[in-house]
Amino acid sequence: MSERAWIDRLQEVLGPSKVLTSVEDRIAYSYDGTFAQQLPDVAVLPESTEEVAAVVRIAAEYRVPVVPRGMASGLAAASVPFSGGIALSLTRMNRILELDEVNRTVRVEAGVITADLQAYVEARGLFYPPDPSSNKHSTIGGNIACNAGGPRCLKYGVTGDYVMGLTVVLPDGRVLQTGGKAIKNVVGYDLTSLFVGSEGTLGVITEALLKLIAKPGYVRTALAEFPSLDDASRTVNAILAAGVVPATLELMDETAIACIEEAMRLGLPLDVEAMLIIETDGSDEEAVRREMEVVERVCRENGARKVTVARDEKERAQLWRARRSVSPSLARKAPNKLGEDITVPRSAIPEAIRRIKEISARHGLPIVVFGHAGDGNLHPNILFDKRDPAQWEKVEVMAGEIFGVALDLGGTLSGEHGVGVLKRPYVERALGPVSIDVQRRIKEALDPLNIMNPGKVLP
Amino acid sequence: MTNPTPPRVSEDDYLRCIRCGQCLAVCPTYRLTLNETDSPRARVALLRAVREGLLERPTDRTAAQFFRCLLCGACAFTCPSGVTVDRVLELTRGEMADLGLLPQPLAALNARIRESHNISAEPPESRLLWAQNLPAPPTGVGKAQAEVVYFVGCVGALFPRSYGIPQSFVQILERAGVDYALLGAEEWCCGYPLAINGDLEGAREMMRHNLEAVRSLGARTLVTTCPSCFHFWKHAYPAALEEDLGLEVRHAVEFLADLLESGQIPLRDDLPEQTVTYHDPCDLGRKSGVFDAPRRILRAIPGVTLVEMAENQGGSHCCGGGGNLESMDPALSQAVAARRIRQAAETGAQVVVSACQQCERTLFNAARAERLRLRVKDIAEILLEAMRR
Repeated sequence: MSERAWIDRLQEVLGPSKVLTSVEDRIAYSYDGTFAQQLPDVAVLPESTEEVAAVVRIAAEYRVPVVPRGMASGLAAASVPFSGGIALSLTRMNRILELDEVNRTVRVEAGVITADLQAYVEARGLFYPPDPSSNKHSTIGGNIACNAGGPRCLKYGVTGDYVMGLTVVLPDGRVLQTGGKAIKNVVGYDLTSLFVGSEGTLGVITEALLKLIAKPGYVRTALAEFPSLDDASRTVNAILAAGVVPATLELMDETAIACIEEAMRLGLPLDVEAMLIIETDGSDEEAVRREMEVVERVCRENGARKVTVARDEKERAQLWRARRSVSPSLARKAPNKLGEDITVPRSAIPEAIRRIKEISARHGLPIVVFGHAGDGNLHPNILFDKRDPAQWEKVEVMAGEIFGVALDLGGTLSGEHGVGVLKRPYVERALGPVSIDVQRRIKEALDPLNIMNPGKVLP
Repeated sequence: MTNPTPPRVSEDDYLRCIRCGQCLAVCPTYRLTLNETDSPRARVALLRAVREGLLERPTDRTAAQFFRCLLCGACAFTCPSGVTVDRVLELTRGEMADLGLLPQPLAALNARIRESHNISAEPPESRLLWAQNLPAPPTGVGKAQAEVVYFVGCVGALFPRSYGIPQSFVQILERAGVDYALLGAEEWCCGYPLAINGDLEGAREMMRHNLEAVRSLGARTLVTTCPSCFHFWKHAYPAALEEDLGLEVRHAVEFLADLLESGQIPLRDDLPEQTVTYHDPCDLGRKSGVFDAPRRILRAIPGVTLVEMAENQGGSHCCGGGGNLESMDPALSQAVAARRIRQAAETGAQVVVSACQQCERTLFNAARAERLRLRVKDIAEILLEAMRR
């Protein structure tokens, strides 16, 4: 009976329709965008900060793990409830609370879908730049908890750069407010930044105050085809050295191109080693056009066979739909993939790609490379079949070696996916003992009962 | 599992799902409930859990999850790893039926169709009641031979509120001088409802009968106003019967577009200006690839300005009438319809045109429930109004 007592309490407080206990529901809340899976004891669907606080208070009282989640598109198993307990879904907290056009801020609940927010503000001439590939199937809360990035981060920065304040339910059920609309704010520690990227381990983000900017009026998007992958990766730095900061600078290797082409039949070239998708934007049409001319010239000088500029919004949208589909379309090549998210200093991109391809050749399993080359964030994806134990063994070794490449070249394990569970074994090596110690103390101070997304991030 | 019947879905079909979550963004049921359980990803995960033993004993509750779906295919259309989710879920419904877990209303529907050869247990002669109050009896009745067979479908033939669709369609055929026949009492259910609810053998019986009836008239073309009959005739009949039908299967929109473009449907030139939006039926558009013909017809009608909804063609949003969701969860089905009719209203159109008796009915009811001043018409109806006498 005592086993069920906390579930009964949840049902009393939230009402039975928001507390899901059937095995069918628990299966639905057992996974994210990875191959990891574990059933929670219940899934809850609160609709307000007060309801989230009530759930967390019950969890604290009964020492039950709480695993917050948005739409569970994560790629590090951060929202998989490995210790059971409560899968806390924020998806029904999806109201846009206040748009302040003078201060250019918007206050939203955590469950707002990122693309919905973007459409809402863009209709009013404003712009929320962070654009993870999952923007149609991920939430602002999840984006903040993972400090999500995306192609536009090269020019505009990551999710965290747009978070001005948060409402967080702490592990003891109290509600914390951080930040505010004032641009300058140096009173006390920067708690907003502490929760950005905390992956649900320090509290539940329920609302966010986000910074907006003016929507760029003009955009040009080009696709550059490179017979040589090495030339493509060198071109990334050449474009930036030429004084242009494109909004995005994306790289895809030949396997990535082949997978998208198979999925979408866009007529992409199948006889090149790499492509770059480059976008320039701004408020001055002439400047945007000139920047694109520079980009075209630099691409050709560095070995591009062909540079095609999208003629209209439809062609542009199609290119981006293609880019967003790279990761999932890899399933066409192999039953499983392990998608990594390393970052290196931009200058080291050509070397990083060479070393990754070498790892692939040595172990005999394909690694697809694509990503946000302009900011040094690459997504090497190892393709394999998990049903073959020999392959799985190799994958683990290869993942370790890929992280090694990133660290040796002065980069790190993750640029935007976060640590979750999958990168946890490598965190100590990336951060060193002092940083780990400080982070552990922070976790213990905020969550002494270790109920908030236990077993994630820290080793 | 104690299931004596071999599984219908192959392992590869569900292992392809990498759980990326892209389908959540387009799934009409998920977008309303915001509960992962109602998402395509969860339905595939549930199937996999049943197969791999994570869920040991499927119950009515398990089965219900596979039937709480519109089978609209928006998920499959967007899936980058190529999971044919709607097809997988159709087969999974069959697996649930094999386990004796077919929900009661659907089991009753199957029994009714097997017994009466139509979805509403009407006597076969009722199939021509819709033709009784036409200006003249249709020439297609009782013919021994014809070029074209018009397969009316159960809803158009037997549901008085949908009579307007076959009535309009045959009047156009008559005036355009098409040599067509109606099967009347010899028309049986196309078999689609049986097939998506696990009774493939029953569906085959319907198919064999219908194909025989059409062949006996020496017809070369079969035309339907119902997108589901069309989809089923075109794709499932040849596959399930393992033979070439020897027939061209066409939907009314394709047939009418050809008649119009060959000058057989002269149009009035005194028509009022009207803004029209077109709703793509899932079985006709996304699942059969017919997007262009209905738009060509509408653009050809004098006075019509065609505007598109935000979600159109392959990315169209279901009307709420798909997959028998209505019999499982009427409130959810109505909420899907409400969302779609609001999308139509946002275009500023005065008329929503569809090419499906089911879409027409659900959208009509939704427009009333939402108190929107939107007329809902079938494409045959708007075309007949525009046709010169």
